[in-house]
Amino acid sequence: MAACRRLGNIVEPLGVGFPYIADLPADLYESGLVDFVEIAPETICRQRAIGKAVAIEIVPDQLARARRTCAALPIVVHGVELSIGSAHGWNAAYLEMLDDFQALWPFVWHSEHLGFQTISAEDGATLEVGVPLPLPATKEAVELVARRSAAIGERYGVPFLLENPAYYIADMPADPEIGDDIGLLAAIAERSGCYQLLDLHNVYCNALNFGVDPFVVIDRVPLKRVVEIHVAGGSSRDGFWMDGHNDRVPERVWEMLEYTLPRAPNVGGVVFELLDDFALSLGAAAIAEELRRVRTVWNRYRR
Amino acid sequence: MALLDFQTALGRLVRVADHADPLRRLRLAPAERSFLEALPDSAGFRFTVAVQRSWCVGRAAGAATLTISVLPSDLRQRLLDRWTRAGGGTSSFVAAEADALLDFIAGELPNPSHLLAACRFEQAALRASAGANSFVPPEWVGRGAPQFALRRGSYAGAVGFHSDPHVVLSALIERTELPPLSPDVTTFLFAPGLDRLWQPASAHEVALWTRLTGAVAVQALLREGYARETIDALLQVGAIEYARPCPAP
Repeated sequence: MAACRRLGNIVEPLGVGFPYIADLPADLYESGLVDFVEIAPETICRQRAIGKAVAIEIVPDQLARARRTCAALPIVVHGVELSIGSAHGWNAAYLEMLDDFQALWPFVWHSEHLGFQTISAEDGATLEVGVPLPLPATKEAVELVARRSAAIGERYGVPFLLENPAYYIADMPADPEIGDDIGLLAAIAERSGCYQLLDLHNVYCNALNFGVDPFVVIDRVPLKRVVEIHVAGGSSRDGFWMDGHNDRVPERVWEMLEYTLPRAPNVGGVVFELLDDFALSLGAAAIAEELRRVRTVWNRYRR
Repeated sequence: MALLDFQTALGRLVRVADHADPLRRLRLAPAERSFLEALPDSAGFRFTVAVQRSWCVGRAAGAATLTISVLPSDLRQRLLDRWTRAGGGTSSFVAAEADALLDFIAGELPNPSHLLAACRFEQAALRASAGANSFVPPEWVGRGAPQFALRRGSYAGAVGFHSDPHVVLSALIERTELPPLSPDVTTFLFAPGLDRLWQPASAHEVALWTRLTGAVAVQALLREGYARETIDALLQVGAIEYARPCPAP
């Protein structure tokens, strides 16, 4: 296992981030509201079958468009398709694509969601579940994801971050030494030397849905390892608060950001997360207001 | 706990494609088995499944925008429900799934019908578009040895409309009255090398396309009366292709 990276000055702080959304006017990224762009490389890729294997290919036109939009802003990568916690195997095609992506467009850091979204069919083929699922908080899960996280850190030579997930299934199996999802992420980070992307809206979701205090959860996170923070909005459905990335940031999540930022000395950026489908309906004015509010909090603790 | 078996069970439970016992042939400790067996009754699990269905429907709808949008709402809902229950819509790479989804929808539509034509129109356009970035005309157009076999292009299609295609598509999109089905068919040819990816097909092109349900040697086609010019023109744009790589001249 790779040794832990030195904590402190993990990255040069970037500031306020926003996802790359192809359908939004490029002006937003040139407005001074955004210091860096978070890009999910899959959004500019297509998947192609090569015999029984699958390749993920960067679409040149879409890459060129993304680069024009982001212009000189630094980028970070936020992957979706790796399925780092799948015991049957991760998505090797995704990493091969990311090798190409990094050669074309270097990124400051790289993050992934902690969970799994593929399983193995009885014939050995990979089956997509269609939604990310949480990992049980077990030693085996720690070992698996820590090994893979360390390998990714070596492969790309930039900080690798794992994001705490939102989930809805209660009382997942756990080993007592690990405890729960927060313990799982902390144990993986400790063992692999990787860092954390603390998604405050995910903490908020889980806290609301499972009736816990989000500030108590934050206090359990090894905040020195947090390199990026997400804030986002969601919505209520069937008695659950959903991690929808479809609205403004709830007031409680702003309070959580105010609480976390001064306690997390190595945070390099705060991203207002928003899904493509909802960006246009939320509108440029509302997006700008949320980004300005992120900056106000950022400047209070980082300037 | 064996992580692999636990994940397989949980994944199978969330996917509804698996109608058989989701815990079959898995090494699960008694406590894990109890947890998984009780899961379908829990609100959190049911909500996870609802989110999964919603995402899968959204992905499928995004993969075949035209066809999904012109289907009557009850038929759309029924087909999307069947598609996602069969495991469709799970991939984030919608384009990879669009072709199979449109095949599935086409199989459920009356033949002939304007809806079927619109469905095949979208499928052919997506295929041609997928091939356009990498399409290179074959070097041997006009010089191919007659023993080489030809087949339909991998990224090509031909779509027949039983009325004026523009009128049919406009009526479907605007939900106005559709023209009656005509016995006369107007065929559009789609290919990755065409300027707009499509063009109206001539009678000769339609005849050649119809003939190539499988690989056929050039000399056989010539013997049957298909024109060399038609063969070359379709090869040039990728509407047809050599069935196997040709040896160097």
